[in-house]
Amino acid sequence: MAATAAGKKVFEVFVSKVLWTVATRDIKAYFGQFGQVKKCLLPFDKETGFHRGFCWIGFTTEEGLQNALQKDPHIIEGAKLQVQKNRKPFSGRKSNKEAEDI
Amino acid sequence: MAALLRSARLLKCSPAVLLQVFGNSRHVSAAGRLYSEAVGTTRAGLCVQTVPGRLNVNSLSSYRLTLPCVSCRQYGVVPEQSGLVKDEPSVAVRSKQAQQFDWALAKLDSSVRRTGRVTKTLLLRIFHDICRTGYPSGNQALLLLRSCGSLLPEVPLAERVELSQQIWDKLQELGTTYDVSHYNALLKTYLQNEFRFSPTDFLAKMESANVQPNRVTYQRLIAAYCEVGDIEGASTILGFMKSKDLPITEAVFNSLVTGHARAGDMDSAEGILSVMKSAGIEPGPDTYLSLLNVYAEKGDIAKIKQTLETVENADILLMDRDLMQVVFSLTKASHQQHVPEIVERMRHERGYVPDAMNLCLSLITHGHEETAFSVLKSFTGLLVESQTSDSPDLGNFFLRHCANMDKPVENIVGFCKDLKDSGLHSSPLQFTLQCALEAKKTGMAVELMRSMKEEGLPLRPHYFCPLFTHYQKDKNIPGTLQALRAMQELGVASDFDTFSIYILPSFPSVDSARTSLKEAGIDVDGNILIAAELRTEASRGNLAGLFSLMSSPALPNIDLSAFRASLISGFRGFHNVELMAKITELLYKDPRFNSADPETSENVAYFLYNLIDSLNETEVHSKEEQIREYFGLLKNMNISISLNIFRGIRNILESYQVPELVKDVLALVDKKENGLETDATLLRGLEGKLSFLEKTLAELKAEGKPASSTLKKVITVLCSEERLERALELKTQYETDMTPAAYATLINLCCRHDNAEEALKLKMELARKDSEATLDAQKYVALVRVLSKHGKLEEAIDMLKEMKEKDVQLRESTIGLLTLTMNTAAMKGDANTIRRLQETIFTLGLAKPSSNLCSPLISCYLESENYAGAFDATVEVQKQYNQMPKIHDLICGLVENGDAELLQKVMEFLSQERGEMMMLYDLYFAFLQTGRYKEARKIIETPGLRARPTRVQWFAEKCIAAQQMEPLENMVDMTVKLFECDRDDMYHYLLRLCKETNDWQKAEATWMKMQEENLAPRERTLRLLADILKNNDKEVPFEVPEVWFEEVKGQPEMFLEQEIKSSPMVQAAPRKRVAASPPKEATVDDYRLKLLSLCKKGKAQEANDILKEAESMGMVLSPAPYDTLIKTLLASGNIEDAMAVKNMSLFKSLTPSMNSLFSLCSEDIDSAVELLESFYIQNTENQKSSISFVFRKVLDANNDAVLDKLSAMAERLCNHFASYRAATDLFLIYLDTGRTEEAKFLLQRCAAVNEQKDTMFTYMLRAAQQPGQAAKIKALSELIPDFTEKENIFSHLVKCYGLDKDFSSAKALYERMQVEGVKADELTLKRLAQLYKEAGATVPFEEPPESFRFYADKLNKQRSESMEPADN
Repeated sequence: MAATAAGKKVFEVFVSKVLWTVATRDIKAYFGQFGQVKKCLLPFDKETGFHRGFCWIGFTTEEGLQNALQKDPHIIEGAKLQVQKNRKPFSGRKSNKEAEDI
Repeated sequence: MAALLRSARLLKCSPAVLLQVFGNSRHVSAAGRLYSEAVGTTRAGLCVQTVPGRLNVNSLSSYRLTLPCVSCRQYGVVPEQSGLVKDEPSVAVRSKQAQQFDWALAKLDSSVRRTGRVTKTLLLRIFHDICRTGYPSGNQALLLLRSCGSLLPEVPLAERVELSQQIWDKLQELGTTYDVSHYNALLKTYLQNEFRFSPTDFLAKMESANVQPNRVTYQRLIAAYCEVGDIEGASTILGFMKSKDLPITEAVFNSLVTGHARAGDMDSAEGILSVMKSAGIEPGPDTYLSLLNVYAEKGDIAKIKQTLETVENADILLMDRDLMQVVFSLTKASHQQHVPEIVERMRHERGYVPDAMNLCLSLITHGHEETAFSVLKSFTGLLVESQTSDSPDLGNFFLRHCANMDKPVENIVGFCKDLKDSGLHSSPLQFTLQCALEAKKTGMAVELMRSMKEEGLPLRPHYFCPLFTHYQKDKNIPGTLQALRAMQELGVASDFDTFSIYILPSFPSVDSARTSLKEAGIDVDGNILIAAELRTEASRGNLAGLFSLMSSPALPNIDLSAFRASLISGFRGFHNVELMAKITELLYKDPRFNSADPETSENVAYFLYNLIDSLNETEVHSKEEQIREYFGLLKNMNISISLNIFRGIRNILESYQVPELVKDVLALVDKKENGLETDATLLRGLEGKLSFLEKTLAELKAEGKPASSTLKKVITVLCSEERLERALELKTQYETDMTPAAYATLINLCCRHDNAEEALKLKMELARKDSEATLDAQKYVALVRVLSKHGKLEEAIDMLKEMKEKDVQLRESTIGLLTLTMNTAAMKGDANTIRRLQETIFTLGLAKPSSNLCSPLISCYLESENYAGAFDATVEVQKQYNQMPKIHDLICGLVENGDAELLQKVMEFLSQERGEMMMLYDLYFAFLQTGRYKEARKIIETPGLRARPTRVQWFAEKCIAAQQMEPLENMVDMTVKLFECDRDDMYHYLLRLCKETNDWQKAEATWMKMQEENLAPRERTLRLLADILKNNDKEVPFEVPEVWFEEVKGQPEMFLEQEIKSSPMVQAAPRKRVAASPPKEATVDDYRLKLLSLCKKGKAQEANDILKEAESMGMVLSPAPYDTLIKTLLASGNIEDAMAVKNMSLFKSLTPSMNSLFSLCSEDIDSAVELLESFYIQNTENQKSSISFVFRKVLDANNDAVLDKLSAMAERLCNHFASYRAATDLFLIYLDTGRTEEAKFLLQRCAAVNEQKDTMFTYMLRAAQQPGQAAKIKALSELIPDFTEKENIFSHLVKCYGLDKDFSSAKALYERMQVEGVKADELTLKRLAQLYKEAGATVPFEEPPESFRFYADKLNKQRSESMEPADN
């Protein structure tokens, strides 16, 4: 984890209004159409077992980021996602995925 | 209904409410609303029974005259009995109760208003809250009981009855005294919940409790008999009523309609209408509704239609709500086929939707979901209008309730299909599944998923997570296995994370999991189990087991990241260094553990860094030998780490004061690969810094290079070490290289060392060198201070004048320094100096005359007990500056001295200047202060004198601050009869002082006095008192009020004044009323005020509670209250709550407070780091907010330990969380403070900083505004050559050289530009030309002809044009 982030600027979007049925891999696959996705973090609430309805997508290139931002609307499983340029970094610490990682 | 109306009246007269006169007028409307919403759904309840009617209809007519003629739909209101409570709880307790009642009422009211129903959860929460506080009041009991009926459409009837019984018993147990209103409310819930009970037993119960039944009781008992068709019973009760001369109302007749019908005698039922008419009562809508309901029970649609027509013709209006009851009756009696006909007649009045939703919910609860669904479909058109999202989701409430009620899955699936096919809901199955999962209904969830699969909808592993979390909580292995089996059946594969996070924790061990799974016939990917096993073994510290697992050839690829944290926790003990080394070697050499990022070999290096980072200082110290051994073994295994990582580890170890270990780590660095660096430079600590700088300085000088920036650095370091002489020596030695900044630093140091001569000399030198050079305000004032102190008054005044000329702005703190300067003179009795300084300051307008700035002059005379002089000075200051400082001290001095004559003069002066009242207060306080209480009393008893809260507060605060109990106590005693004196305030002051001195005896005595005075203290006063007693392990003799919504009154006036003025609500209402504003009317603004004022008073906990309350009401406060609260909590040392508050405001910006946050909790550096870290991780908006200030502060303080932690944090943020701001700030601070090496290292560790070009650019822009910054920009461009275009760097450098008048550097730069082929813009050329000309050299290029301004504007224009499209 530490090794990957160092040195490279991360091109991230923040996605909210993600339906509870959508899984990490679905969202990753969806955003893959805009460019190579390096990170996809959809944090889960360990208490309830549901994810929190928002996620971060990190592209490897600026281009991917721009492509994703230009497209509107983004629809997964019939529901419209809210996609915006990320000003908030990955909150990896709080998620299950990286629970083991810190 | 009557009960509810009565409750409103009761509330109005209850003494508790008298405390809140303003508030209670609103209760009525709220209670009324609660009631009016409730009533519609409360008129149901009919049965079919047949008993011949025996009612003597004629006997009823005799009651005609007493019948209320207007009460068509309302029961007559019986005059309320005075509901006296047996144990009179103290006024304070009742005040609390009133507030709680308000709160609960507000909650229930809002729920009823919005939805027409109350959820069981809400009701239970209020119930438990009320119980917890211990004194449930009668009103609260009533409120709770009343909510147990048809306001709970989602709860089955039996459960409702149980609930009302539970509440009844529990409250009784807690000492609530029930009056007739409670019994009536209970009866109502019985009726609404179709609970069969014996009315005679009920009456007996009332009798034994010595509660007299009233008309409402009888009416309801009649209704109860009628419900079961017991006309005989109803007649008995009627007899009672008759014997008591109670009026027979429409409600009684309505019940009788039902009663006869249920007794099977429809004729008599219908006949009641004519009986009513003959008794002079026109049948009302409720009468017809009763009739409609009994027809509905019979399924007689023809009669229903006929009756509806009659109703219409009689010009009686039936509401949709009434029709819904008919629908309900039809359905319950299994005549749902007629429902559509009734539904068609609905007129969709206002409020139809919530009513219809409640009907649906009730129908579902009663097992009629099919009918409910047809009702739902009849009003979806109304719901559509409120839809905002693109994907429809109508009927969610319906599906959720079906799931909660465990309706058969096939039914639910049918509804879902229908909703979906008719385009009402885009994903009904998914939604229902979500509900089932939330309700932890595994069976239903699995069935729903099966349907989804059949529909071709995808099933995903995480659908099962909510079930697993549920089972995990109670380690329910069979449940877990059941869910797993379902997963397998449905063909959903579990993944690693689901498995290790949600499934494994239910099992005692990986082995047992493996066995159980096998026994249960569940296939799990072996790799998942192995990875989980690695984690388990690692975190348990079973290194031998771990090693054998890891070295087993059967092990699949598994990246270190999957078990890194566990491994670190297993390693931290350093118990078996050898095994640790072996495992590390495996990690290093076995590619299976490095699958994620095979190109780099940094995996292990980072692991080592994290491992060391996870240890605290004590651990490192106690394990030093083991750590050394471990590194030694790693070295032998040829494990190497990069330089970056080494530096990271070195920083940690150095901060832990174990530099010896650094060498062992260094041994791991591959020297050859890293080239030039030698051990020595890597080990160099901070000590060498000064000598290194001095050496560099000498070298530069020897080479004839400009050395001003290095000189500045050396001087800064020397100054920070307070080595004045050495700094002066260097100054003399390198005089030509002295920059204004270096002078400023040096001057400041001289001032600090009280060396006026040298300071002045330096200042003059500086002025000679650069007449434009300006010091900052603080340094000027320091200079003024030291000069005036050493008798150089004229020079000091010159400095003040220079400040004015150079337009130096003074800030609050600097003005404080000026006061201090004059006070120093006052101590020496040097009035002349003070006068001159004062005069200069005020005439130049450097600061406005203030009490503080004027006080030194008075102090000067008071100091030497020259009262006449002091008085003259007072007069002088008052006349000149309209200030009257130190008047209290002057009067006290005169009183003590017994100088009656002068005192008289002072009093006359005061009276003339500020009025008689103020004069009297001044004198009063002086007498109090000097212990002349008899005289003081005489003054305060002056007829016509009234309380002046601000003045009283001033003296009280003064006593509290100086811990003077006697004068304060005397003041409190003497002001008993003072007109308009707020007694609670007075006692509050006293208690505050008691609290300060922790004097519980005095506090207890104060409590007694309050009782003697028969005072109803405010809650804050009681809490304060309780606090003092508790702190001293004394019993608290009263119930401590819970913090809820403290009155605004009694705040420090100064603080609130501003706020109150700006609050529109407060403007509208007189001040007093605001004070008693009840909570349900509390606006966001109220909460904010409340919160801020509590914070101001340091009541962090109470403020926190208020915030929680506001949050729970769904209010969103502005960021300021959050900030303030966080600060207050931190100040009180409550870091945990501060964090919680911070988290609450997750998505609200918190920027400005962060700096102060840090300094506040700097005693607990770990928390501070955590705060900052989570701040950067979580706050979207705040990537822009800099923490440079924090870093600079830490650097200035030379606080290495803190710096290291912060630096580690910055690196972590950068490398793990992609949050670069902190690292970038640190980098720039290093650069700015000349710590270029550190900056370089940081850059190597946090390469992403390279990319923060905007910030770098901003830094350069800012730096180039001031002289002496060229070196920094150069250093920056050397470290990050590409942070902006070369042209930019060069043009800014030229600008700097221009400011520094550094021709030689500029020339060298120009030559370099020529060599590198960098084109200079015109402005830069213009600047260069200027430099050449000033130095008397020929300009080697053609100087642009226009002015500076021209080219600057041109450049700006170009820039803004090129920026625009890129700017988003």
